[in-house]
Amino acid sequence: MLMEFLVVSVLNGAIYGMLLFMVSAGLTLIFGMMGVLNFAHASFYMLGAYIAYTLSALGHFWLGLLLAPVLVGLLGVLVERFLLRRVHAFGHAHELLLTFGLAFIFEELVKLFYGNFPVDYRMPEALRFTAFTVFGTDYPFYRLFIGGTAIAMFALLYLLLSRTRVGLVVRAAERLPQTAEALGHNVPLVFMGVFGTGAALAGLAGGVAGAFFPTSPNMALELGVIVFVVVVVGGLGSLEGSLLASLMIGLFSSFAVGLDWSLAGALDAVGLGGWAREMGGLMTTTLSSIAGSVPFLLMLVVLLLRPAGLMGERS
Amino acid sequence: MRRHHLLLLVLVALPLLVLPPFLSLGLQNTLVSMLVAALFAVSFNLLMGQGGMLSFGHAAFFGIGAFATLHLMLAVEDGLGVPTPLLPLAGGLAGLGLGLVAGYFATMRAGVYFSLVTLALAELLHTLAPQWDGMFGGEAGMSSMRMPWGGLVFGSVLEVYYLSLAWVALCLLLLWAYTRTPFGRLTLALRDNEQRVRFMGYDTHKARLVVFAVSAMFSGVAGGLLAFSNEVANYTTFGMPVSAQVVLHTFIGGSTVFLGPVVGAAVLTLFAFFVSDLTRSWLLYQGVLFVLVMLYAPLGIGGIVELHLRHMRELRWRALAGPYLGAAVAGLLIAAGFVFVIESLAVLFSSDYAVLRRDAGGLPPFPFLGTEWQPLSPLTWLAPLLAMAAGGWLASRAGRRIAPLWDEARRVHTQGGETA
Repeated sequence: MLMEFLVVSVLNGAIYGMLLFMVSAGLTLIFGMMGVLNFAHASFYMLGAYIAYTLSALGHFWLGLLLAPVLVGLLGVLVERFLLRRVHAFGHAHELLLTFGLAFIFEELVKLFYGNFPVDYRMPEALRFTAFTVFGTDYPFYRLFIGGTAIAMFALLYLLLSRTRVGLVVRAAERLPQTAEALGHNVPLVFMGVFGTGAALAGLAGGVAGAFFPTSPNMALELGVIVFVVVVVGGLGSLEGSLLASLMIGLFSSFAVGLDWSLAGALDAVGLGGWAREMGGLMTTTLSSIAGSVPFLLMLVVLLLRPAGLMGERS
Repeated sequence: MRRHHLLLLVLVALPLLVLPPFLSLGLQNTLVSMLVAALFAVSFNLLMGQGGMLSFGHAAFFGIGAFATLHLMLAVEDGLGVPTPLLPLAGGLAGLGLGLVAGYFATMRAGVYFSLVTLALAELLHTLAPQWDGMFGGEAGMSSMRMPWGGLVFGSVLEVYYLSLAWVALCLLLLWAYTRTPFGRLTLALRDNEQRVRFMGYDTHKARLVVFAVSAMFSGVAGGLLAFSNEVANYTTFGMPVSAQVVLHTFIGGSTVFLGPVVGAAVLTLFAFFVSDLTRSWLLYQGVLFVLVMLYAPLGIGGIVELHLRHMRELRWRALAGPYLGAAVAGLLIAAGFVFVIESLAVLFSSDYAVLRRDAGGLPPFPFLGTEWQPLSPLTWLAPLLAMAAGGWLASRAGRRIAPLWDEARRVHTQGGETA
């Protein structure tokens, strides 16, 4: 029983974590380079899911997965080139507010075209099978597919940034934009490319995950705040930190759901359990019921004690 | 200038005092939400516009004010002798308390990190509230009743309205008085150059904490007024949409002017009331308006009005009249074209039209504005697009003629300032 709980929780948590990573990778890269906290980033995730849904409803699931990142990436390029760059001179607060307004618009546009309710986006029959059986429970293949996509993406991104010439220029533009520009590199183009790539990654995550998790106009807001937690805890601008934080939050979420620990239970150990139970309130609140709050508590602690995050270098 | 302000005040205050008894119940209720939104936005702007701290979690203080007021209302129901009109005070106190605690931590950080701390705080409350029955009434939330006091029953919306008006007027007056104090000037200095303030010997963390707590306190009063009017509140009061709304109100109204957020709150609340029956896309228009303000008019409505008032004498109004009229027509054309496209799309993608389409077996004409439109006819889409293009052309022409006139006015203004 315990073993089953452990194995299933680890599997589910790791895969949810990988999904979080797919969305937060772009956000953290963009922040690291441009200092822009992109509130519209989770909207790119949502748009990816809706684009993929539209094409899969027409019978082209794989084409949807291919086009979702391409179209969302293009949209990201347009947003950076024609909107963000315009307000860049007004400062970071202004850029942040602009992306905030865009998130609002994207959500309302989705409601306009698809209605204010979840749509029926599902994976094709060919992918709907059991990968293996753990402790008598069938484990769906599609979860592994989500995790595999994320791992492939991380590997590709890592190799791109650390092993190629393009990656070298991108890293140079991040560290010392003015020096890179003086050396003849087109830094605004690099920024645009990074923004577009980040959006495309979120779009891909949406296309892949939307078929498994619910696809609805709320998905941007719901995932958006958690993604902020991930990039803050991992360290704004750090890809490895994001990966670590994604896995942490993913694992925590999947474990917490199954645990009915409470403060009163902990106080039993020192003989105060009865008193705590009489107090009620937060004393008897179980971990599973406040699982949603813990990430924000973690985010607060990190922001206050170590704003650079787990793996970040700067604060 | 004094006389100007007084006249403006009378022009705004008189209708607010005299008109409501003659308005419909729905509009009276909307006016109460407008007052609440206005107070909330001005308190938010004390932190943002004057203190330079962008909070993305101000719903926390608004919400705590609402719940504190409800707790006091419940106590009054049980016989506690607190006069009913003073109930929102509980909201203010709760806002102040939470503001001191949350602000102590939040003001340790600046910039984006400050925004993230406030966001995390509000989300923490938002996720905890539904689990915490005793404090926030769990998922269902809390409800209470207004008790009669001193001959006043507080049963009608009108009584609630006048009480809210009194509270909001008093709070705005206090907030305005705050900006006139030496500490109010220090607040501006904190925004412009914190390091310099620190070198002058001030403890900037403490100073920013005070600004934060004052802002939170008045947000709490606003939340208290909302709870007083609605007699209910639940955990969604802590949610992101509430924090987002106050940001939109403040920036569309203009964060650089004291009464700018009031303009934003009033315009958006009233507009929402009048058009929400006509369209479901109201929030979309609000978002587009916000982005347009961010792109083209970062000063907001209030900032633009203030700019005109300041250059009243130097501007050549006769020469400006033509281009301004052109710009207004351009704005109308663009807005009309855009609204037409969006509303047509809203009809075409609605579930009602899906039924029509299935029955007709093709794309039947859709009804809009009293006539039928062919969804595939170029006329349907060309007309609004042409209107928008013409509007864009007109706007750029008007802009080219307005810019030099403004440059001249600014030049005269600064020269006048030097000789005076």
